[in-house]
Amino acid sequence: MQRATERLAWVVVMQRAAKHDSPPHYLTPLTTMQRRHFLQSSALASTLLLVPRFLRALDRPEARLAARLRDAPGGEPRRLIVVQLGGGNDGLNTLVPFRNDLYFQARPTLALRSTDGLLPLSDELALHPAMKGLKDLFDQGQVAIANAVGYPNPDRSHFRAMDIWQTGSGAERTLSTGWLGRYLDSTCAAPGRPAAPAYQALELDDTLSLALKGARRTGLALRDPAKLHQLTQSRYLSRLSQESAAAPAVSEVDYLYKTLADAASSAEYLYEKTKAHPLGAGTYPQSAFGKSLKTTAELITSGVESRVYYLALSGFDTHVGQLGRQAQLLGELSAGLSALAADLRQAGEWVNTLVLVFSEFGRRVGQNASNGTDHGTANNVLLLSGGLRRAGLLNQPASLALADLDQGDLRYQLDFRSLYASVLADWLGADDQLVLGPGVEKLVGLV
Amino acid sequence: MTTQRQLQHLYWRAGFGPRPQDVAAGGRVADAWRQLWQDARAYAPITLPAAALEEPQGALLATLGAPASTSPPSPAPLKAAGMVTDVAADMAATMAGAPTMGVPGAPVAMLPPRSALRLGRTGLPQLRRADLTPEQRKQQNQARREAFIGISTAWMDLMSDGAGALREKVALFWHGHFACRVREPADSLRLLNTIRERALGRFQDLLLAVSQEPAMLRFLNNQQNRKQHPNENFAREVMELFTLGRGNYSETDVKEAARAFTGWSADAGGNFRFREREHDAGPKTLLGQTGPWDGQAALRILLEQPAAATFLTTKVYRFFVSDQPDPARIAPLAAAFRASGYDIGDLLTRVFTAPWFYEPAGMGALVKSPVALVAGLRRTLNLRVTNERLLLDYQKALGQTLFMPPNVAGWPGGRAWIDSSSLLLRLQLPGILFKNNDFTLRLKDDDDVLPQVGGRARQLRAGLATRLPLVPLQALLGATPTPEQPRRLAAFLLQAPIRPENLALVEEAATHALTPETRLRTTLVSLLSLPEYQLC
Repeated sequence: MQRATERLAWVVVMQRAAKHDSPPHYLTPLTTMQRRHFLQSSALASTLLLVPRFLRALDRPEARLAARLRDAPGGEPRRLIVVQLGGGNDGLNTLVPFRNDLYFQARPTLALRSTDGLLPLSDELALHPAMKGLKDLFDQGQVAIANAVGYPNPDRSHFRAMDIWQTGSGAERTLSTGWLGRYLDSTCAAPGRPAAPAYQALELDDTLSLALKGARRTGLALRDPAKLHQLTQSRYLSRLSQESAAAPAVSEVDYLYKTLADAASSAEYLYEKTKAHPLGAGTYPQSAFGKSLKTTAELITSGVESRVYYLALSGFDTHVGQLGRQAQLLGELSAGLSALAADLRQAGEWVNTLVLVFSEFGRRVGQNASNGTDHGTANNVLLLSGGLRRAGLLNQPASLALADLDQGDLRYQLDFRSLYASVLADWLGADDQLVLGPGVEKLVGLV
Repeated sequence: MTTQRQLQHLYWRAGFGPRPQDVAAGGRVADAWRQLWQDARAYAPITLPAAALEEPQGALLATLGAPASTSPPSPAPLKAAGMVTDVAADMAATMAGAPTMGVPGAPVAMLPPRSALRLGRTGLPQLRRADLTPEQRKQQNQARREAFIGISTAWMDLMSDGAGALREKVALFWHGHFACRVREPADSLRLLNTIRERALGRFQDLLLAVSQEPAMLRFLNNQQNRKQHPNENFAREVMELFTLGRGNYSETDVKEAARAFTGWSADAGGNFRFREREHDAGPKTLLGQTGPWDGQAALRILLEQPAAATFLTTKVYRFFVSDQPDPARIAPLAAAFRASGYDIGDLLTRVFTAPWFYEPAGMGALVKSPVALVAGLRRTLNLRVTNERLLLDYQKALGQTLFMPPNVAGWPGGRAWIDSSSLLLRLQLPGILFKNNDFTLRLKDDDDVLPQVGGRARQLRAGLATRLPLVPLQALLGATPTPEQPRRLAAFLLQAPIRPENLALVEEAATHALTPETRLRTTLVSLLSLPEYQLC
């Protein structure tokens, strides 16, 4: 972290200057004057400056209304699957600017070429050769790619950057709740709606990420519904957790029992639903990630009503010997998502499912001396669904020209919170301001 | 009249729980508090063998040739073996500031030249981390991971077994208050000892010492805070997180404080250094006071604000008393804290001897942190564990790794420790420890300080089994008749009153036992596996 910040000294100074005008704490609303001033004074901090006009919501009320009116087709509830690529995936070798000389200059031994089997998406950009499945989905109009996604004053520490993406805080603030956790909070805040059960958001793991922890509601972590069920049904635990999950928790001990009851009833629900799940057609990679995707597909096709699924694929921290490792991981990602799409399509659920793939940062433009890349900044984000309103490449890739780089790193063009806001409002039908705070512009007509 | 529960309440909140011998004798809480204070007065630093904190690259220069940054990337990366070049000449060149070569035409070539070597802690030149070979980096990570495990283990031992539990509990509070994550174990250990030494003294001494710790200066980027280019990060966090809290200063105050802290830095040997040439000696106006303030003056001005006492006392209250701050209790405590010259011991004495502290509603109403849960198990049951490394992993799965706070704000604490997954893991721990229950657990790979080799998820497996010594508990039970034993043990182990139906369940579980020993063991594990045990 220290090295990165030294390198960044002048940027930090510059952005600190801009910071005075940037949005304060997310709970503090901006006045119109402040907002206008902010947009004028700090081009760097504007979230949507370089995003095509068609995607910009600005303040057109009719656009917002249109988005609200278009609810889920057939009244089916929509769900979101978040795939977290841990370690910092190299976006430049995922979506390759294969006609850009600067790319080849910066990466003498790592650059991927047409002869390597790149999968072109446009005249300028091609997918990594290992991502055949994703390319097919792209060709079917079921993938949207946002380029140069990031945030002001980017942090190059894995931990802090992941914290920023999981909480939706930006670099200047720390939040103790996750963005999807606050989504859960927002759904139980709505009057007349019953409190969301823990299974409303599932993480396919043994422990729960901050992303799924709200102030009042949290998601549920599980790797296997049967195993979780077995645990909560153990002779001792099952007899303890008789508390009603719906009872208000006043004391701390009530809160613990309520959490336990919630876990037990969620485990029961998930187990009963998936006991006789239909067999999927997709072939998943033989890996923990492949297994998580397969379980996700089984949960969905069994009719489980969870709104959010959270999965992680780690190992992208390719400081050394990047080519083989990244190819293997991206192959796993692509094949896995392809299998998931096939299973969900067959069950008629692909149109109700949105997959968001992100990594905590991209990597430096120039390769290092170990045939790897070091921590960078802006990166691409993938959206996959059978129900995308706009597919394809959403915006131009970041410029690689030296003058446009931020000390050797890509400059962000699109704030990741704009993507979150669009997904929350237009896909999950949530109140994005309640979750992310005011001042985050949405992309219209995306999902 | 002090009840056993009140006595235990004090031991849990001011330390890591009572040992059977602490409650066997009874006594008044005021006396117990005096004793806790006496026992915590002695301070001894945590030390590790020097070798454990040394960077393994100390001797590399003898075998390694040109640092990687001076050679263009090539398909064959540097190999340590067989590359002997004129190191001295190379060093002389790089240290004299001779430009290093980059990749022609690549953006990296435009980075400012830097010396390939840095002075290590021992005063010997070392390679920069970025220039290590993959194998060397792996070695370095491994060595650092071992050192952090060593420090964490030593500290957990003091919490679990030491006489000075109060000092360690208060140090754990400050460890979260002064949240800091750095890669170098030696710097982390130094900061910890600084905190432990001053944990019970005057806050201004603690604040100044922590603010001048190399780990903190690095973590909050004060190395980059220079007269010509101020970096506000350090000043901002000192005000927002260490002293005043948000809303009690302006952006201008942050800028002015940042100027006061210019020049606060650390040398290569890990010692504080004031770099006068980098310091902005001009007049500054901080919170209404104008003068040529330096860092020390800035800290003094911050602590002169009444808001500082309220902010700090509220944090103390939330950690030691209740997650729900009560302004009516906090206001007089804060006023006294300020009047005492920020005497931490005085504040703690006021808290732990206040009648309201021992009201029933406040007892058993705080969620134990993972560290307090594990240290408490060890302390109250007199456990001798042989597999502390696995316990540290289990703590990580529960959401708390010492020296790795989630961000600058530290661990949020309270109910934030609990979600359905972490609660289920907590409830399984006694069975894993004392019944050798089978389990596997995937740990998240979210560690930038000590990344896992290959970056793949780590599995935590069974192997935690620990012998549960019954003698101290049998002594506690004395002549308690068998049917009464579960209730008696519950009164010792649980601060939240056990629900009648759960007591019945615990009693029933014990009836199947064939011997008095297994009956006692079964009762203990049943009680420790209750949600009530998560509270103190």
